[in-house]
Order: sequence, then structure tokens, then C-alpha cells
Amino acid sequence: MTMAAVELNCVTKSFGDVQVIKGVSLAIRKGEFVSLLGPSGCGKTTLLRMIAGLEKVTTGSIIIGGTNSTRLPPERRDIAMVFQSYALLPHLTVRENVMFPLRMRRLGRKDEQQRRVDEVLEMVQLGHLANRRPRELSGGQQQRVAVARAVVSRPQVLLLDEPLSNLDARLRESMQEELIQLHRQTGLTTVFVTHDQEEALSLSDRVVLLNEGRIEQEGAPTDLYSAPATPFSASFMGSSNLLDVQIEAAKGAPCATLAPGSALPLEPGCAAAGPATITFRQEDVQLLPADAEEGILATVETRLFLGSRIRYVITAGAHRFRCLASPGHSFAAGQAIRVRIPPGRIRVIGRTLA
Amino acid sequence: MVEAVPTGVRAAAVIFMLLVLAFVLGPLVVVAGVSFTAGDYVTFPPEGLSLRWYRAVLSADVYTHSAITSLRLAALVTLAATVIGTGVAVALHRRRIPGTGFLSALVLSPLVLPTIVFALGLLMLWSSVVGRTSFYSLWLGHTVIAVPYVIRTTLAVLATSDPFLEEAARTMGAGPWRTLFHVTLPQCLPGIAAGGFFAFNISFDEAILSLFLRSPDIMTLPIQIYTQLEFSPDPSIAAASALMIALTIFLIVAIDRLLGIQRVAA
Ligand SMILES: Nc1ncnc2c1ncn2[C@@H]1O[C@H](COP(=O)(O)OP(=O)(O)OP(=O)(O)O)[C@@H](O)[C@H]1O
Ligand SMILES: [Mg+2]
Repeated sequence: MTMAAVELNCVTKSFGDVQVIKGVSLAIRKGEFVSLLGPSGCGKTTLLRMIAGLEKVTTGSIIIGGTNSTRLPPERRDIAMVFQSYALLPHLTVRENVMFPLRMRRLGRKDEQQRRVDEVLEMVQLGHLANRRPRELSGGQQQRVAVARAVVSRPQVLLLDEPLSNLDARLRESMQEELIQLHRQTGLTTVFVTHDQEEALSLSDRVVLLNEGRIEQEGAPTDLYSAPATPFSASFMGSSNLLDVQIEAAKGAPCATLAPGSALPLEPGCAAAGPATITFRQEDVQLLPADAEEGILATVETRLFLGSRIRYVITAGAHRFRCLASPGHSFAAGQAIRVRIPPGRIRVIGRTLA
Repeated sequence: MVEAVPTGVRAAAVIFMLLVLAFVLGPLVVVAGVSFTAGDYVTFPPEGLSLRWYRAVLSADVYTHSAITSLRLAALVTLAATVIGTGVAVALHRRRIPGTGFLSALVLSPLVLPTIVFALGLLMLWSSVVGRTSFYSLWLGHTVIAVPYVIRTTLAVLATSDPFLEEAARTMGAGPWRTLFHVTLPQCLPGIAAGGFFAFNISFDEAILSLFLRSPDIMTLPIQIYTQLEFSPDPSIAAASALMIALTIFLIVAIDRLLGIQRVAA
């Protein structure tokens, strides 16, 4: 067994009487890029700050690079952190900012430090701005300085708290690519906090989905995306549809009955009969004309043109769900249609208590 | 934006501004004018032009000695007030100590309470605890009323700074003390400079506290000017005042050169 770069053992955190982290255990491999994902207030920042040592751990332990760091102050932990506001020191130049961790940690001789700083500034393409002060930089450039300053000391683990949330959409995309690149170049173990599921999916080796201070589900991005294990995971991983249905296993192959005479076929052997919740992604819903041979009868409730896609809200009996379709075929609001969902795309998650 | 303001309001605003300018600059113009008079009396406009009253002030021991006392006092007050004020401001800003709200009200109270109340209270306290008034009672008194200004200007700078800077420094390997010296204090610098400037000026022209807390052998410049005015008014008081104004302007320019006035005014 290789040693984990960071290990959280049953970590909890209470502010006064309120427990906000309710027992999180997590082992992060060396070089792994892990995202902490979850809705606002679920405890992502608190967890990250506990790894950094900026927040005291109530119970449990945190091991960083083999050292029990649970009670160590931040400056004695082998970490670096990128803050949401970047937290660049305004009285120092870009170069001095990037030099700061090396100076404080007394890493290497002066000329080695200089060389390291130049190297890292080149890596984030800021060599030409080295003598500027932070306030003379754009948001994206400040962000790069913050990242450079964090990787320069080659910490055991790099912590990032929503570092891209202050950037506009286009810049955010290019920064995501740069982060992937940087991670590949440096091989630093990285913990990345975000509430944006797309960002988490596209950047990480592993996504840890948090819900109210607990790990709801963790796994590779593709697993989380295609196999959400709980209703919460399903709905958080991108507007999946959740329907409470009756599973019936009439003639061999089971199906999910939405209403009498209206059933979606399922994969053989995926669930036993009885009440259950099914989930499917909105892009997996296929809309067919009302006179088609297959599919269940439904009605278009609303139609929303999104540019490259069209979003429909569909009603079938008492059920409502959403569909994301390419603009090839078009249905109007109020139109009767048929709906087909490939059986392999429907997941049965948990039983509803009847 | 200017177009949206009705003409009447605009005219009123202009008149109001001119009035403010007149009352702020008027006295300065009169003092400067009188100081250059060639005559023997305090009259405005001055009778003729000369530097004779400047020569008189600079060669009179009563003025030069009191000026040196005032400068020495102001420098020491500036030193004490910036050190104490910065420490208090940083502590208040962190809000780690209980009763922060009450404490900030307390340390800022000299800003709103009448100086004479402070002067009297301090005099009584000093007399009962220490004894005779001296240069030190003067130093203490001036420092007490100057400290709130340093606290205010430093807190103002801290309020606009990134609250995560200190934490960021900790994650970069700086312990609490190095964070203070490498991050917090450099942040505060413009505020400390502005506060120090206020402290210097407050001490340099404070008359009420000085009257109460000095010992008879100590003469500060403002008291000297006041005494001169009361017993033998001549244009030398105008020349001494003009020199005080010149010193203030010099300090403003110096701070602007060193730190930039926009940062200080923030
Ligand atoms: N210093 C504090 N004192 C009291 N409660 C706190 C404190 N810090 C955080 N909390 C609470 O802990 C919970 C988790 O907060 P946290 O900041 O970790 O959430 P988050 O997942 O980072 O949310 P966001 O996406 O909005 O940043 C919240 O309910 C918050 O109100
Ligand atoms: Mg957060």
C-alpha cells in the first residue's frame, strides 16, 4: 500500500453547537487531483481550511505526508493554498509575492529561490509582469500569480478554494485548461473546492460529493456522472430527472410504470418489483411524434430555445421531467408527443417508502 | 450626472462651496497677509511688505524655545500615538478579544468628548497618582487625544484590505510574528502615516490640554502665541502662525511624496 499524501480520519467540525462536518474520512493519493463538490454551505471550505490548519479540527485526525498534522499551525504544515480572493500581498511585486513562501519557509539559497521563481512565473506566462504590483494586474493575471505562489514551494498538497469563481466564463474555461496542464507538469497532489459540477468533472481524477457535512458519494467523474447512487447525487450531477414510479416485472423484462398503460422499459434484472425512484439525464430523453410506434404518450409543457439545444419540459400523467434536445426536430408547447428513453440510460436509485 | 441636477440646486451648491472655501481659506489668507506687514499693528490688509516680523519671531527666545518644546512634544506624541494606536487598531480589527464593540467606543471616545473635560479629568488623575505636572503629563495628555486618530485611520485601511491576507501568509509558512511584520504592518502603513500626521498636528497646536497639564516652566508654541496675543499683541503672532501653517503644508507634501495622498486619504 502506498502512503496517502493526505488522510482524513473521521474528521468532524462544530461551530458552537452546530456540527457542520459530520465525520469525513478520505485518503488522497500522491499526485491525485481531487475535487470537493457540493452545494453552498455543505462544508467544502471548512474541510479545506481544516486541511490547511486555518480551522481547528473538533474530532478526528488529519495526516499530511505521513505527519500527523491535526494540531499543527498552518505554517508548519507542508501545504499551499489558493484563496478565492487570491490574497496577493498588495505591497509586494509579483516576483516578491511568488518569492514569499520560499523566504518564509527558508527553502534553498537566494539564487536558487530566484531561479525557482523565474521558472514558475514562466510556467504561468507571467515572466514579463514580474515587477508589477497586484493591483496593476487583471483578475486572470492575479489568479495566475496566486497559483504560481502556491506551487513554488512544491507543497505536499495544493489546496484551492473556488479559485476560478471570480473569473468570467471564457477566462474560466482557459484557466481550467491551464490548471490541468499545471497539474500534469508539477504532479502536485491537489484538492480543489468547487460548487460547479462541470468544473469538478472536467478537472479531477476523483470527485468527492459533499452533502450537509458528509460524503454523499465519491468516485471517478464518469462514475458520478453516469451512475449517481442517491437522489441527491443524481439531482446534483446536472439536472437529472427524478421520478417516483412503480417497478413491474410483468413478462421477464422489468419496466417503470408512470401511470396505468404508460411504462418505460428497463434493463433486465436491474430492480425488483415495487415502488422506486428512477433517474435519467435530460439529454437521454428522445422525443418522437405522437404517431410513432414506440414510447409513452406525453405532452410538451414548455419549450425553451438555448441556442445549440432546446430544452423541453414534458408532462406524462402526473409526472414532469426535462429534456435537452438538438434543434433538428421541433415540437411546440402543448403538442402531444411520444417519449422514449433507452433502457440502459435509466437508473433505479433506492426504493421510495410506500 | 451633472445634467440631472436642477439649476437651482447647482447654484446653491456652488454658493455653499464658495462660502466653505471663504471660511477655510479666509483666516489663512489674513494671517499670512498680516505676517508680512511692515507696520507695528495687527491690521489687514497689511501696511507695506516686509519680513521684519519673521525676523523678530526667529530671533526671539520665547518663540524659538516654545517652538522647540512643541516640536519635541509633537514628535514624542506622534511616536507614542502611532505605536499604541496601531497595536489597538490591529487588535480591534481581529475581533478576537471579547467586548470589541465596547472597547472601540472607549478608545475612540476622546474624538467626541470635549477636550476640556479630558484636560480636567487627566489633571486631577495625574495630581492624585503622580503629583506635579511636567513634560510627561503633557506627553500623556496629548497622546491620549491623538491615539484615536491613529486608530481610526489604521482601522480604515485595514477595513479595505483583504481579510484573508494574514491567513494566506500563515499557509505560506509565516508564523504569527512574521505575519505581523511582513503582512499586517505593511498593510497598515498608509493608515499609520495618516494617523501620525494627525497626531503631530493635534499635539503641535493643542492649547487647552497644554494649559491644564503643563508645569509653569514649560511653554508650548500655541500657548506662547496666545499669551503674546493677550498681553502685547503685535504681528509676530501672525508670523509665528504662518510658520506653523508652512510646517503643516510641508508635512502634507512630504507624506504625499513618500506614500501618495490617495492612499492616506482612503
Ligand atoms: N466561522 C464560522 N462560524 C459559524 N458557522 C460557520 C463558520 N464558518 C462556516 N460556518 C457554517 O458552516 C457551514 C459550512 O460552511 P462552508 O463555508 O464550509 O460551506 P461551503 O460548502 O464552502 O459553501 P460555499 O459554496 O457557499 O462557499 C455553513 O452552514 C456555515 O454557515
Ligand atoms: Mg466555500
